[in-house]
Amino acid sequence: MVSNEEVSSIIDAYPRDRRYALAVMQDMQRTFNYVPENGLIATAEHLDCSVAQLYSMATFYKALSLKPKGKHIIKVCDGTACHLRGANNLVTGVKRELGIVPGEVTADGEFSLELVNCLGSCALAPVLVIDGVYHNKVKIDAIPSILKEHATPVVTQ
Amino acid sequence: MSTAKTLSLTIDGTPCTCESGEYLYDVAKRNGILIPVLCRSDAFEDHRACCRVCIVEVEIKGRRKVVTACVYPVEQECAVYTNSEKIVEERAIVLALLAKRAPESAEIVAMARYYKAPELDRLVELDGGRCILCGRCVQACESLGTGAISTINRGTEKEVSTPYHNPSLACVGCLSCANVCPTGAIPFIQAPSTRSIWGRDFEVLSCERCGAPMGTREEIAYAAKKAGMETPVICDACRKHEIADSMMGTYRLV
Ligand code: SF4
Ligand code: FES
Ligand code: FES
Repeated sequence: MVSNEEVSSIIDAYPRDRRYALAVMQDMQRTFNYVPENGLIATAEHLDCSVAQLYSMATFYKALSLKPKGKHIIKVCDGTACHLRGANNLVTGVKRELGIVPGEVTADGEFSLELVNCLGSCALAPVLVIDGVYHNKVKIDAIPSILKEHATPVVTQ
Repeated sequence: MSTAKTLSLTIDGTPCTCESGEYLYDVAKRNGILIPVLCRSDAFEDHRACCRVCIVEVEIKGRRKVVTACVYPVEQECAVYTNSEKIVEERAIVLALLAKRAPESAEIVAMARYYKAPELDRLVELDGGRCILCGRCVQACESLGTGAISTINRGTEKEVSTPYHNPSLACVGCLSCANVCPTGAIPFIQAPSTRSIWGRDFEVLSCERCGAPMGTREEIAYAAKKAGMETPVICDACRKHEIADSMMGTYRLV
């Protein structure tokens, strides 16, 4: 759970104007990995709009989520080119490694998986993006090492 | 100040006049020509124009185009056809699609039948569907200032709901949403002294004088607060009587 203080520290930085609704929610998404319910309620109060309006926006934009996403976000492109070049295989590969399907988060909260539309790198299909880093012409065998690259390093004493 | 230009047009051959910028639907209505509408409500000023049943053909300088009458501002002389062959056919398809989306809505089904909508066998009906996602309910709730509901999600998942599908704290149980819905899609229960909607149960208060139902406790308090008045305990009719009585008393004293 995100505390009300953490929520206020984000919201208070914005002027009380409804046009900042999306910006506030994006900010919360970045900071908390999701838009928490107390965050929506506090934002509605700050911007003098209804929770319903914000909820409508939050469920409309794919960039916002109402449930916590993983620390690292895996995006598998499923645009036309990537789809034809085996985006499905990448999804299978990730599932084999982490046991999650698109829309899910690993139990330890490390990774979440998303299917996205064309990322504009069709010539390099199939494309997989983790935390903004593009991996091109990905083969299913390469997935374990790619994931390892991005995972939070385990500290051993 | 600019005075709006007066234009003349014909609708299904009937000569009409209107001011430049008036919506075609309003012009037609004033002249006794009824164009079917679903998502349009006279209660609101902005129209979302999403149901498409109000389509008509407009001919300007020999060119014809299909427009939605509810939001088409008449800006030049034109000839309008509300029942041309093309419109009859297209409106029937629009209604056939709406009937697939809202097969449980008696209103939609009746309208589809009336306008001879084709069966479209290869499309499946939406299970339990009543809502056509016109957004009138959301508009009503927003314009009251309560803002208890909104459209959520997108694409095939889109629906009208309260945040998190939870009973809404903002709802005052006024039933505006259900009353403005053209398809009867919003379920509610109205008993003599209680009312339930959007997962909440409300108490309906009665006039302390005549006993007539006045609305939910929350709704009465909300309206009074908005108007900057005390929360009333007697109904409008009784209040008028009271005022009339006291006036009579005053006059008798004079
Ligand atoms: S519930 Fe009724 S008013 Fe609301 S969007 Fe659906 S059809 Fe329109
Ligand atoms: S389809 Fe994947 S980058 Fe274009
Ligand atoms: S009434 Fe015109 S589009 Fe719905």
